[in-house]
Order: sequence, then structure tokens, then C-alpha cells
Amino acid sequence: MMHGKRRVAAKEPTQDEKEEARQQLEQYCALNSRVMDLKAQSVFTADALDATRQLLELNTELHTVWNYRRTIIKKLDAWKDTERRQKMLEQELEFLMKVIRNNIKSYWMWNHRMWALSLLPRATWRKELSLVDKLIGMDARNYHAWDYRRFVIARLKDTEDSDAVDEQEFAFTTAQINRDCANHSAWHNRSKLLPAILTRVDQQRREEVLQTENELIQNAIYTDPEDQNAWLYYDWLLDIQKSDEDRIRLLHNKIAAIRELLELEEDGKRPLVELVSGFAELGRLQPGSVTDAEKEECMEILRTLKGVDSYHAGRYADMSSTLSKRWNVSDLCV
Amino acid sequence: MAESSNTTRSLSLLVDKHVEYIKSLDKRQDELEYWMTEHLRISGIYWGLVALKLLDRDSALDKQQVIDYILSCQNTDGGFGGHCGHDSHLLYTMSAVQVLSMYGALDKIESSRVVDYVISLQDIETGEICGDEWGERDTRFAFIAVAILSFFGALSRLDSDRIVEYVVRSMNYDGGFGSGPGGESHAAQVYTCLACLAILGRLDVVDRERLSAWLAERQLPSGGFNGRPQKLEDVCYSWWVLSSLRILGRVHWVDCSRVCNFVLDAQEPDSGGIADRPGNVPDVYHTCFGIAGLSLAGYEDYPLKDVDPVYCMPIECIESSGLRSWINNVPKSWSQEKS
Repeated sequence: MMHGKRRVAAKEPTQDEKEEARQQLEQYCALNSRVMDLKAQSVFTADALDATRQLLELNTELHTVWNYRRTIIKKLDAWKDTERRQKMLEQELEFLMKVIRNNIKSYWMWNHRMWALSLLPRATWRKELSLVDKLIGMDARNYHAWDYRRFVIARLKDTEDSDAVDEQEFAFTTAQINRDCANHSAWHNRSKLLPAILTRVDQQRREEVLQTENELIQNAIYTDPEDQNAWLYYDWLLDIQKSDEDRIRLLHNKIAAIRELLELEEDGKRPLVELVSGFAELGRLQPGSVTDAEKEECMEILRTLKGVDSYHAGRYADMSSTLSKRWNVSDLCV
Repeated sequence: MAESSNTTRSLSLLVDKHVEYIKSLDKRQDELEYWMTEHLRISGIYWGLVALKLLDRDSALDKQQVIDYILSCQNTDGGFGGHCGHDSHLLYTMSAVQVLSMYGALDKIESSRVVDYVISLQDIETGEICGDEWGERDTRFAFIAVAILSFFGALSRLDSDRIVEYVVRSMNYDGGFGSGPGGESHAAQVYTCLACLAILGRLDVVDRERLSAWLAERQLPSGGFNGRPQKLEDVCYSWWVLSSLRILGRVHWVDCSRVCNFVLDAQEPDSGGIADRPGNVPDVYHTCFGIAGLSLAGYEDYPLKDVDPVYCMPIECIESSGLRSWINNVPKSWSQEKS
């Protein structure tokens, strides 16, 4: 699969370039055949291990070669001795640091790293976490780095105070969101940490925590009202409330916040959708609480949105149709 | 919303060029790329064959030669490697089964060996499915296991309740699904989870409204889709997002004509094939998912075959395998809005 490789105007390669490409191809094929032959002959030696290293440095995607490499490692004499195994797996981690630069998106490489760490006699999870910090520092949305982070954190929680690790991770997501409130990876991770934190605190502390969440959301929707993350998180906060009473209170806050926001952002598209879905949800939880004027306002908003945001016209039409039936008002989208 | 530059141009699907491009893939042995991608050749054949089938031009490949090659990739454990001599993995076993099914040649393999291989990869403790004997877990593999077993009528061999629980544990605040419990939502993982639930008849566990809204937001001003918020658009998401929306009955929540233009704009005009984005180098993966995306988007200027959004194969193949019944198990409350 090619991702992000630009097409360049065809230019006849020079004789030297052709020769170089031919040699490169021959070397790769020769090495590949050698490794596959060794594997077929069940050779499990240090030489065979080195051959897999050379090949994987050229191509991280060869899962069969990663498998073969693990099999060799476990069959070497050094494996039987704890100290030598520690050293061998540490070298393996260093090798992976080199390969990671070639292709950070290689699933096989990450699997191999998890395998090596799981079998390391004295694993250093804190060191591993600082590696992930570095990777996320370079690319705050890297899917593999975040997945790997959760793996490392789970292990860290086995060896350290689990609640304290959760608190640290929660603070990490706050820092990431403060840096970029559109960081979906950070909002996501936060949503995975918050429920456990809420179960550990008393009612007063619970309200303080939720108030902080509210402030974080408000900050995000003022910074970028069109970004989806904070709004989705807002909806999810409704889901995890203990009672409908709490939900209704939160919905009133949400609607009030949107009204305030709309005074500044008259052309906001998402705040308007959110206003409609806020009223729809409020009406569902507390029948009769949405006034006729508010209902008509919602229908008018959907009609406007259908015109200005043609990409999602179908969604607005569906919302309009559903609400017109539920509220017994005219559907302005037809 | 910014107008995409390509809405003013009229682009057409370069059918002959794509057919020639796919035919040429096996003749590029003087290119390093050919050898570097050897490990997933079996998936390359699947992508090429789906593209050709949807174009109704599958005679471009030598059927017998392909079948013989696929059979040569089966290992003694019953699974398939990406190429002869490569280790088995569910990813390649899926491609092998799909290709054989499209050729009506599933009877060429001993079904019990494939089924036993798949069953051996379920972790009985957690319900999770491993990709191979080394134990990598991912919601993609849950879908693949379920899909493969459905081809052999062997779903009852799997603990499907545990799989549904596992998929539900992988669901997130935005309604989407990640690579496993705790994993961030990603459009391709969303597709695999929805397809898995569709085959098991358990789409009722999905938050349809929230997930549909999240998916609809994946469309960018260029008309193309990204896989996660703030990421670049990519032709393959035309498939992952549209197939998911189709399963949810909500394709009409996005602008299909714009996504068609985006895909057409990513065609390589001279040698054929479709790239991840306009101006980039094409490959067979994006050629497949670009054409499958066009089929779902209702591209009208060429009679593309309809594609099944769960199996990513022509509907006619899925119907003849008796697997289209997933559509009858979609929650009843959804059907009134089916797109």
C-alpha cells in the first residue's frame, strides 16, 4: 500500500541509476531468499538471526520473518539464562528503535516490541512510557503510539499504585487537550479514564470533577466551535450521569452555553445542530419542557442548515422529519 | 464550506486503464516494489479481483492460475500465508477464502481445516480473536473470523456472544470502535466491527445516531473522507466510511457526488490505478477501495456492479453464497430509513 507517495513526471533514469536500482533489487531478493531458505530448513542460529535483522531493516512488513526471528531467539542458548536473556531482549529493543524510524505504522514491529517487553526478565515500563511520550510529542495523533501507550500503562498499573497511574494519565490528557483542543486521541483516552476516577470519589469531589470537565468542554467549544470532539464528549457526559434529573440539568447548561456562544458565532454550523439535538434530547427526557417557539426555532434551524451545509443535507432532513412527527410541527426541509 | 476544485471538471472512470493496470501487476518483476510486497500477494489478488469484478472485467485474470496459486499458499495448520512459504495469518486466510468464493471454488479446500484453524484462534477466556498463533488481538480479526466461518456455515462453532461482548467493549464515547477495548475510534475499525455485528445479527448494540453523525463528519471539503478527526482524506476511507454508513442505512448523510469526484481525481491518468490522494502513486489496494467506494456512492457513468458493504465483494457473489441474509437481521427500526 502506498500512502502519500507523490507521482513525479516520468524521467528516463540514467544508466547509473538503472544499475543502482538493479543491484538494490538483486540484493533484496538474495537476502529474502536466504532468510526464507534458512527458515524452511529450520535453522535457528545467531547467523540466521542476523540475516533476519538485515532483511527487517529493509522491510518491516514481513510478519513471517518477525515470527521466525522470535522462534530463533527462544531457541538460542542465551535464552535459558536470565541475565543473558535480559541482555538479548534489551538488544532487541534497541534494534526496534532503529526500525521504528523506517515505518512507525508497522503493526508487526509494535507486536514484536510488546512480545520482547513481556518476556524481559526486568522490564522497565517507566522507560517505555518516556519513549511513548517522545513519540506522542512528535505526532500527537499517532494511532499506534496511543495504542502502545495504553498497553504500557496497563503493565505499569500492575507494578505501581494503579489509581495514581490513572490520575497521571488523566492529567496527561488534560495537557494534550490544552495544547490542542481538537486532539481526538486525547479526548478519547480521557473518556476511558474518567469513569474509573468518578467511582473512587465522594459526591462532593464528583461534582468538582464534573465541573472541571464542563470547563474543559466550554473552553474547547469557544476555541473551535466547529470541532466535533468536545461536543461528542459533552453528549457522552450526559450518558454517564447517574439520573435523568442530572441529565436535564446538564442539558439546560448546554443549551444556555450554546445560546451564549451563538451571540459571538452567528454563522456557527455545529452549535446550531447541537442546539437542535439538545432540545430534542430535553424533550425526550422531559416531555412538555420544550416550548412551541423553541420547536419552531429548531425546525427553522434545520431548514437553514440544509441550505448552507449541503454535505450533510440528508442528515438535517432526517432530523427534521423525525422531530416534525414527534413534536407535531411542520417539516420545513421537504 | 470551500468548493472543491474538481467539481468544475468532469471526470470519468478510466475502466480500460484500470484493467490494464491490474493485469500488469504480476509482470513488474523488475521493480523492487513487486518483491517488497510479496508477503501480501494473496491480498493483492483479492483487491485486484474485487476491482475487476465490480468493473465486470474479471476475465482479465487467468482463473485457474489464480486458484492454483491461492491453494499453494495454504499451510499445514489450515490457514493461509500471504505467499507460498509464508506463515498463516487470518488476514491472508480471509483474502484466500474471498477469492476462492468469488471463483465458486471453495470446494477446492477442505473446509474443516480452515474452520479448525479459525476456531483455534479464539481466546476462550476473553472471547477475543488472535490474528495468528502469536496472539495479536484486534477487532479486525473478530470480523474476519466471523466472516470466514459464515462462508462455511460454521458460525455455531464460535462463541459469538463473547465476540459481541468484546466488540461492545471496544465501543467509544463517539459511538465508533477501536482496535480493541480502550482503542480510539477509526473508520476502518468501525467498518470491521459493524460488519462483524451485521453477520452475527447484533447491530442492535450500536448507537446508530451518534455513530452515523461521527461518520458523516469524516467527509472533508475535497469530498474525500478521513479515518479520524483532523486527519487527511484518503481514497480507502471512501470504502470504510461509506460501507459503514450503508450498513447503518445512512449513506444519504454525506455528499456522494463529491466523494465520486474525489476518487476519480485520484486516478493515475496514464498507466491506470487509483492512489490514496490526487497526484500520488497508485496501488491495487486503493484501486479496489476506490472502485468499491464509487459503487456504494452510486456512481452513474459506468454500470459498476453493486458491492456488498459487509463482505466487500459483489452482491451477486454474496447472494450466490447465501450470505446476503445479514440484511434481514438489521434492527427493524432502522429499515424505514434504509438508503
